[in-house]
Amino acid sequence: MQPSPSPTSSSSRSNLAGWLYVSPLVLVLVPFFVAPILVVLAASFFATDGFGGLTPGFTLASYVEVLHSALTLKLYLATIKFTVLTWIFTLIIGFFVAYFLVFHVRNQLLAIGLFLLCTVPFWTSNIIRMISWIPLLGKEGLINQALLAMGVIHQPLEVLLFSDLAVVIAYVHQLTIFMIVPIFNSMARIDKKLIEAAIDAGASRFDIMRLIVVPMSKSGIALGTIFVVSIVMGDFFVVKVMSGGGSASVVSAFYEDVGVLQYPTAAASAVLLTLVLVAIVSLILRTVDIRQEITQ
Amino acid sequence: MSAVLADMPKTGTSKTVVPASTKAIAPSKGGRPWTFYVLATLFAAYVIALYGPMFCIYILSFQDIRGGLVFPMKGQSLHWFVDLFTQVRTGDVKGSFDRSIKLAVIVTIITVVVSFLAGLGFRKRFRGDTFVFYVMIGSLVAPGLVLGLGTGLLFQALGLNASWYTSALGAQLSWTLPFGVLVMFAVMSRFNHAWEEAAYDLGASRWQSIRLVMIPVLAPGLVAVALFGFTLSYDEFARSLQTAGSLNTLPLEIWSMTLNVTSPSLYALGTVTTIVSFIVIGASLGTIVLIQKKRGSQAKG
Amino acid sequence: MKSDRGDIELAGVCKSFDGVTNVVDGVNLRIDDGAYCCFIGPSGCGKTTILRMIAGHEDPTAGEIVIGGQNVVGLAPVQRRTAMMFQSYALFPHLTVRENIAFALRVRGQSKADRLRAADAMIEKVRLTQFADRLPAQLSGGQQQRVALARAAITEPRVLLLDEPLSALDEQLRVQMRQELRRMQQELGITFIHVTHTQLEAIALADLVVVMEQGKIKQAGAARDVYAHPHDRYVAEFMGGQNVLSGRVEKVNGASFTLGVPSGIEVPLQARPTVNVGDQVDIAVRRDDVALVRPGRDLPPGYTTSLPSRVLAIEYQGYFVKVMLDTVPDDEFVAYVPEKTFFADPFTVGDVVMATWATGSALPLA
Repeated sequence: MQPSPSPTSSSSRSNLAGWLYVSPLVLVLVPFFVAPILVVLAASFFATDGFGGLTPGFTLASYVEVLHSALTLKLYLATIKFTVLTWIFTLIIGFFVAYFLVFHVRNQLLAIGLFLLCTVPFWTSNIIRMISWIPLLGKEGLINQALLAMGVIHQPLEVLLFSDLAVVIAYVHQLTIFMIVPIFNSMARIDKKLIEAAIDAGASRFDIMRLIVVPMSKSGIALGTIFVVSIVMGDFFVVKVMSGGGSASVVSAFYEDVGVLQYPTAAASAVLLTLVLVAIVSLILRTVDIRQEITQ
Repeated sequence: MSAVLADMPKTGTSKTVVPASTKAIAPSKGGRPWTFYVLATLFAAYVIALYGPMFCIYILSFQDIRGGLVFPMKGQSLHWFVDLFTQVRTGDVKGSFDRSIKLAVIVTIITVVVSFLAGLGFRKRFRGDTFVFYVMIGSLVAPGLVLGLGTGLLFQALGLNASWYTSALGAQLSWTLPFGVLVMFAVMSRFNHAWEEAAYDLGASRWQSIRLVMIPVLAPGLVAVALFGFTLSYDEFARSLQTAGSLNTLPLEIWSMTLNVTSPSLYALGTVTTIVSFIVIGASLGTIVLIQKKRGSQAKG
Repeated sequence: MKSDRGDIELAGVCKSFDGVTNVVDGVNLRIDDGAYCCFIGPSGCGKTTILRMIAGHEDPTAGEIVIGGQNVVGLAPVQRRTAMMFQSYALFPHLTVRENIAFALRVRGQSKADRLRAADAMIEKVRLTQFADRLPAQLSGGQQQRVALARAAITEPRVLLLDEPLSALDEQLRVQMRQELRRMQQELGITFIHVTHTQLEAIALADLVVVMEQGKIKQAGAARDVYAHPHDRYVAEFMGGQNVLSGRVEKVNGASFTLGVPSGIEVPLQARPTVNVGDQVDIAVRRDDVALVRPGRDLPPGYTTSLPSRVLAIEYQGYFVKVMLDTVPDDEFVAYVPEKTFFADPFTVGDVVMATWATGSALPLA
């Protein structure tokens, strides 16, 4: 065999090995992520003939149009509002559900079973679940009927459906699972001996949760936040359906622009949204080094 | 979840893995603290809320031909189940279902293999690894619709036809692969490097080491990746919307159905998928229990 | 033609991980075929790195490693015919004991029947037959260690490398397993290289003890040599059992010299060729060579040195009593007094005694 390799050549050997292993990943991501983003970026600088034809060139007209439009600000505010509300509720519910499954359920098989129980509704298409909110939240829906029967209200609640509340309910329903999974994973990795030591030191359960569990679930919370934020900010049909057309989101406006073949403005707004998302995600990743925590 | 799964087969007993201790947030023996009841109630409420819309679906799918999408319920029959499978006027459910399943299976296989390889690659640092990591995160957070548009335009510009087994496949992979790789990160972090070294020491080649040691030990994690990949692909909508071409996947078909003719056959579909998923989960859990029992009895022999 | 000999030669072996500091710094050593060799030293001294380089899990930055006359640098472990037993045992968690042991044969392509039969024979040797179908998680620490040993030995290596094999076991088991290791080594007749940080373990097992510090070999030799005749202060202190005193030479008198500090200790000169007045010198006195005598009493015959000391602490160790004294300022001074002697006239903390030893008991160090 070859003589002993020098330090530099062994590290270049591991460089090559590393690239070889991630090459399939890169081979998929380049044509289906990098290239489309570049295409959209390019399209945002083109001019259009108003009928879907694109003339290559360089103009910032689309950006100007998007940034000056009052609609843009309104859309972003609405989307951010939904994002923050969804994040808060999914975080609280997701954290405590994960906490329950990790620390209070004794049998691990049961914990997995309960966890899988939570995933079953997601096997049914998102869209079917979307339309099923109507019989549940509608004026003649199950909830209203139940509340009327119990005498809690005297008239059906109209705010349950086709409103901002309905949008948040739908988001939280759909996305809590994205919080539960990474937080569950982080919590399950906490060394039980730490908790024993804390109990020995006299910590209450609340102290333990505050001082041990929460800090050590940081990476799970960060990952869940990234999922929730990116999905809500990228959503276009939940908000339309559940608000009855009353609210819109950035991407739904994008969808409409595409529908009327206004590609450059659509592209410009897409690029802006992507930049905003990148900024938010970078901020989150700055507070928690996911890669470090996950590979620990 | 992958952390828990990674723990399970190692013990090989049919008992629980957690060592009994009274010094825990919730003791494993004896009485339960009051917070258990609060949290259990919360969990129960969550599950009920989760299944809330589903219950409406289940109930309403059993209406007869006069049935609509909302309460009150009209009649009782299996009409809509029949309607679902005969796809006369309600849309090409069967065809799109086939396509979705095929696509999901392909996506799952590719996701497991590629995520596993990428997970192996990321264990040691190499030049440019941070760049690849962030490209992957970017692919995860990018709005699906935007990517779909970009991919559609790209294919158009290249003169290629968009179709469910090329462009849609790629678009879905751009969504499932980051998930898969992140799960693999979590799973591999619990893999003891010493096992690999021991295999190498005993004379195993790279491939033998992967085949005989890594894959069996990581199997539960790989199953988790497969489940993720399948579920994400099966229900994927935004990225497939502009990349599927002329033949729809199931979510797209349902979408167009809701825009045109909405009928309780969709509810019937929801009921059927739920039944199927319960069967699948029950079978998987049952298999795990059986394997553990077999290992346990083998050990005593 | 590959040799079956398991003698090892390390020539100028260096290892650096960051290109700046050498974890292993110019090691030269020869280990005979069939010897039991123990590397001993504190954490970070490089002993495990040397083990891994011999095993083939690390490559040296410089130098040669020759096994049985064959330069093995760059060869995979299986090509060198070495096998390693890992500190954590690294038993494959998903395979039974039998399958774990048969693993090396499996990757060589042996048929299932053949390799399981060979594994069973090995299991007999380590006396684990009733556990053959168990998974590693169902075994105790000592049993796991035997599986790890069997798994490595089945490849019929010419050198077996053990990375702190006993540190995970409790005290009683450790002593028991020591004998197992020695027995296995003699049965197999191959070279064993055993890394440990426990001095007593090393001198109990090894034909060759190698003491290391910061990447260099301080002393290598038979156990008795290293323990009773340490070359320098480091080895003396690390191996234990010695008191080290430092001082300036006051008088040189033919076959002996007198050390200035604490006061007039006469040291025989056999081991040191040249010592001049004014030199700073270290000497070592074995702890069990120190007798403690109450002031005013007679010294034992031949005991010429006598230093007044106060008793600082007393530790009962079974067949001897460890007495810590303040004989030397700023340094430890310990006497091992045989139990019966001590309890004939026991001291208490604070007593003033005379620490005495025979002239020939003090040895100069490098």
